[in-house]
Amino acid sequence: MLKFALKNMGIKKVQIILIVISIVISAGVGVLAFNVSSQVSDGIESNAGYYSLIIGPAGSKTQLAMNSMYFTDEPLGTIPYSVVNELLADNRVTSAIPYAMADNYNGSRVIGTTSAFLKEKALGSGNMIDDKSTCQAVVGSSVAKQNGLKVGDVIYTSHSATEGSEHNKGITVVGILEETFSVYDKVVFTQIQTLWEMHDHGGEESEHEDEHMHGTVCAILVNTKNPSYAMQLTNEYDGKVMEHDSESFTLQAVEPMQIVRDVLSDADDTKYIVFVLCAIILIMNIIVISIITLLNMYHSAKEISLMRLIGISMKKINLLYIIQNSIIGLVSTVIAFIVSRLCLVLMGDYVASMGVVLNTSKVYLPEILILVGIFLISVIPTVICTFVMAKRDSLAE
Amino acid sequence: MICIKGVSKKFKNETAIDYTDMTFEGGKSYILLGASGCGKSTLLNMIAGILSPEKGEITVDGVDITKITQKERDLMRIKRIGYIFQDFKLITEMTVIDNINILRLEGVDTSRADEVLKSLDILDKKNKRVKNLSGGERQRVAIARAIVKSPDIILADEPTGNLNFAIGEAVIKQLTEVAKGKTLIAVTHDDRLCKYFDYVIDMNEMTGGRYDA
Repeated sequence: MLKFALKNMGIKKVQIILIVISIVISAGVGVLAFNVSSQVSDGIESNAGYYSLIIGPAGSKTQLAMNSMYFTDEPLGTIPYSVVNELLADNRVTSAIPYAMADNYNGSRVIGTTSAFLKEKALGSGNMIDDKSTCQAVVGSSVAKQNGLKVGDVIYTSHSATEGSEHNKGITVVGILEETFSVYDKVVFTQIQTLWEMHDHGGEESEHEDEHMHGTVCAILVNTKNPSYAMQLTNEYDGKVMEHDSESFTLQAVEPMQIVRDVLSDADDTKYIVFVLCAIILIMNIIVISIITLLNMYHSAKEISLMRLIGISMKKINLLYIIQNSIIGLVSTVIAFIVSRLCLVLMGDYVASMGVVLNTSKVYLPEILILVGIFLISVIPTVICTFVMAKRDSLAE
Repeated sequence: MICIKGVSKKFKNETAIDYTDMTFEGGKSYILLGASGCGKSTLLNMIAGILSPEKGEITVDGVDITKITQKERDLMRIKRIGYIFQDFKLITEMTVIDNINILRLEGVDTSRADEVLKSLDILDKKNKRVKNLSGGERQRVAIARAIVKSPDIILADEPTGNLNFAIGEAVIKQLTEVAKGKTLIAVTHDDRLCKYFDYVIDMNEMTGGRYDA
């Protein structure tokens, strides 16, 4: 039966290709839209819960939070490192982690911080950076993979976050993070002193704007003993003006969860529009699939009557067509799934700029349900047709 | 043995067939002659269980097929009857062998396909698509599909209708040869083919009457 079904499909290539394309578009778009929006939401939410507040230079609150949590965009500027010491001395604070973004290594951003910044991340190999030392780096798994890095290798970073001339001083890779399928996979982490040393030219005139960053940070990630202290500190530091090396700095303090909620609220509207569009595409394709299947069955009427005349029972004919359409449905949904994963790979770099690394092996339950639904949609019209044809069997009249 | 008693069939109130008695002995070959519209094909379709008569009975080896279900008639047709249709009823996009193997859907053994195709001189066309065959070759494929299952009864509706006389005669020779020992009932309007059959029945003379073969 299966062999004959395959042979019979072989003589209707054009109709079958049309059905397959329709199913692949329906299922592929649905699955892709759901997967991307879910991974973006999950990815943004997963980092937001780490910190009570973020203190940085005055400017866009969203830019400050997104840059220090997801390494997106550019830092707003710098604030004095003395704020870190001030916070660490505050008994309401459990941790105050300095954060600076200045250089890049072959396009991957270099973050100056302390080992506390990576306390939630597991090492795949090697050790964590030693806060009392300098010129050590822990690299994300993708950075290691792309550049063929292993523990003990020495890397040379370049000026600025995305491009620029190379520093002369090397940084030794002491550890490689386990793959997290987050933006951490694409970043190099070093001690903040390392960044200062790289940019310290002993008072010489520098061609780079960020050269006078010694003793400053781009942000401070703060954890407090309880949420009320976070609110107090936010009020205290938001708008505070500080002096450092005869320069004036205006600070701002933001609550990351609030920023993420705002971002996700905007994203939810976009997600809603995407889902509505997907639903429309899905409905259109369900109609197209049904029409093509019905036309296919109509064109098969001659073939069916021929089989009936030579003695093939309606039961066997029905089974034959259900097998055929099940094969088409199954193959199409599998192709749709593969296409959606290829699209995830292609969209990877774009989504990474939003601070989320897409995991192509991540499958959500609704994706399976969409695929099963589309598979059933591709088979149900055939079942209905065969049922109707069995009822109208000319030989039974 | 096939017995027909008092059978009549109407299409849209027009009588297509109206006979009292007709008997076909097992292992003999019959040719039914008659003009177009005299009910030859209708008679074959009723024997094959494709059509049911309005009244009368048709018994095949003692079983009245007008009293059994369509499913049982289908089963009888696929297992015991080889039907060669006037317009071949082949899936033209498929190959010769696939058109024969279609019978496997109902569990029919088609392992004799090569042997049968060879006996009909079309073994070399086995993997050719039917649409690329000539009329005579298509007719042979239809015969091959009908006889591959070694049926007790072979029904042939105008087996030479689409062929010129020379090819048609060759096909009939082959058909009667491969059908030896089986009940063969062929309908045609060409009386030049009568010599290849055991009995000749002129249906123009028997409507409403009795015929003893």
